[in-house]
Amino acid sequence: MINKNPYIPIPMKVIKIIDEVDTRDIKTFRLSFLNKEDEASFKYLPGQFAELSIYGKGESPIGIASSPTEKGYIEFTVMRMGTVVPGTVTSALHDLDEGAQIGIRGPLGNSWPIEFLEKKNVVVVGGGFAFTTLRSLVNYILHEDNRKRFGEITVIYGARNPGLLLYKNELAAWQKRSDIKTIITVDKGDESWQGREGFVPAVCKEIAPSPQNAVTVICGPPVMIRFTLPVFFELGFSKENILTSLEMRMKCGIGKCGRCNVGYKYVCSDGPVFSLADLEELLRDFATYK
Amino acid sequence: MLKKISIKKINDLAAALMEKGTLLAPVKEAAGHNFAEIKDPQQLDLDYYNTIVSPKTVFLPQKEDFVRYETAKPVAEAQPVALNIKATFLFGVRPCDAKSFQIMDIHFHASGIIDPYWQQRRDATVIFGSAFDLDIPAQDADFYQTLGIGAADPEGSDVFMVKKGEDLLMKAITPQGEEILARLAMLGEGKPADKKYFEEYIKKGSQHQTRNMCLDPQVIAKKLEDIFHSGEFWQAQSAACLSCGICTFVCPTCYCFDICDDTLFSRGVRRRVWDACMFTDFTLEASGHNPRTHVYQRLRQKVCHKYSFHVRKYGVISCVGCGRCTRYCPVNIDIYSIIQDAMKA
Repeated sequence: MINKNPYIPIPMKVIKIIDEVDTRDIKTFRLSFLNKEDEASFKYLPGQFAELSIYGKGESPIGIASSPTEKGYIEFTVMRMGTVVPGTVTSALHDLDEGAQIGIRGPLGNSWPIEFLEKKNVVVVGGGFAFTTLRSLVNYILHEDNRKRFGEITVIYGARNPGLLLYKNELAAWQKRSDIKTIITVDKGDESWQGREGFVPAVCKEIAPSPQNAVTVICGPPVMIRFTLPVFFELGFSKENILTSLEMRMKCGIGKCGRCNVGYKYVCSDGPVFSLADLEELLRDFATYK
Repeated sequence: MLKKISIKKINDLAAALMEKGTLLAPVKEAAGHNFAEIKDPQQLDLDYYNTIVSPKTVFLPQKEDFVRYETAKPVAEAQPVALNIKATFLFGVRPCDAKSFQIMDIHFHASGIIDPYWQQRRDATVIFGSAFDLDIPAQDADFYQTLGIGAADPEGSDVFMVKKGEDLLMKAITPQGEEILARLAMLGEGKPADKKYFEEYIKKGSQHQTRNMCLDPQVIAKKLEDIFHSGEFWQAQSAACLSCGICTFVCPTCYCFDICDDTLFSRGVRRRVWDACMFTDFTLEASGHNPRTHVYQRLRQKVCHKYSFHVRKYGVISCVGCGRCTRYCPVNIDIYSIIQDAMKA
């Protein structure tokens, strides 16, 4: 935490807003620090999140989508919520223009376990909108200072249709690189789609990554996770080597307010990243894969 | 250090403490006693059983303002609300409540990120604990003995007070207690007979009968894990529950809070307010998903958090047996009975 008082946000400026998908309800916000000292002390790792704050609207916990190797800014990809209950903060964010100021509190939570992943093959599996901190992880690993520390990198990323894929330019760039295997799939393509069609679990089964010295990092909608986990069990991945990131309603983000309590863990401060072995230890009224 | 004062002169003590800082003590209200600031020394009242709401309000007020903002102005111009901490004397805390502060300390400033509000208030406050009157039977709801707390247990207090006839004996338990007692000139020295009375009272306090069962934290924690998925058990326990949340509001160890923005005509304040895991929307996410839609899931969360999750996370049960949740529950749900049933399940 960078602020002495962990409940007070630091000011940030929105320097770029990118519309990510055809449906116009997912935007990436690039933020820069208003104070140099905040920038210097905001040290994060892929997998961490922050509370995005708009005074008068509230706060919302969002995963950091940029990689710490990108300097001068941080990015968050936010979906506009509000079809069922009011997505007050996300709607307000979507209504912002470049140049606006918002607050953030963070970095919060643990991260993808970078040291644990080193020297191993990493299989990154993402579905739909839940690709933000995975993107951070992939960009972190691909950075020239870091790439040597990791084994083979495989990315399997799927969305319902081509228009819903995030970070399309980056995906295209990854596909051209030889030091990463990038498999993009959509549930159903359109006329212009040249790529693969098929659900993420089926594609994982077909690609069949080897469990030898490998860790898989999975993020996606519950239905994707439910069908993808058995594939990795069958391939021989152990529960310690299957990692995911949990979501839960949060407020404080620092393990104090009690809201994201699941069993004896707080998702915000003990997580959000857990291994499947960790999760099986928790009492899960949140079961998604069984 | 053992000091004493005649109960008739208790108002002099109140006046002296008011000179040195803010004095908070049980004050009689229409429905019973509650901790409040003593503005007039005559208000100090030793004739109470326990307060309706626990004294956690002193360190975790129901509302805590974080920052003031104007929505039309840049974020950087928002003004954090200064805490303005003053030396505080919290007078007349019952042993179970004094123990609750130690349990809350683990959460708020002994693990992870320190909560600045809790810590600064705690550091500025001297706790004057007060034994229950052993001549009066414990109220039916109380079960602090089950949690290993005696009716005259000085643990958690800086100064501990015991009534002896017309006198109030005051013993310093911590260095902070020593310091304040040394500064109170109107106090007399305790005699050897007072010391003996004090020690014996504390011993006798541990025998003072409340509802009591043999409860090992690790055993109940494991037991609750085992029956976590027993829908029948939890549905039966919660059948009458209204999800009103009063149990959590009066509880000395419930700390869940919400952070919300309160804006009027573009000026506002971001503050934390008490919240409760008993409320329907506590875990309602913006997607519409809510992992705890049923009452039984929420009551289970509350009970398991106190008697299982807290044990696994911090090593202690997060309950002191003060009996408030049982006393004020409109439908007579009793956490002691739930734990008893759980042990038998």
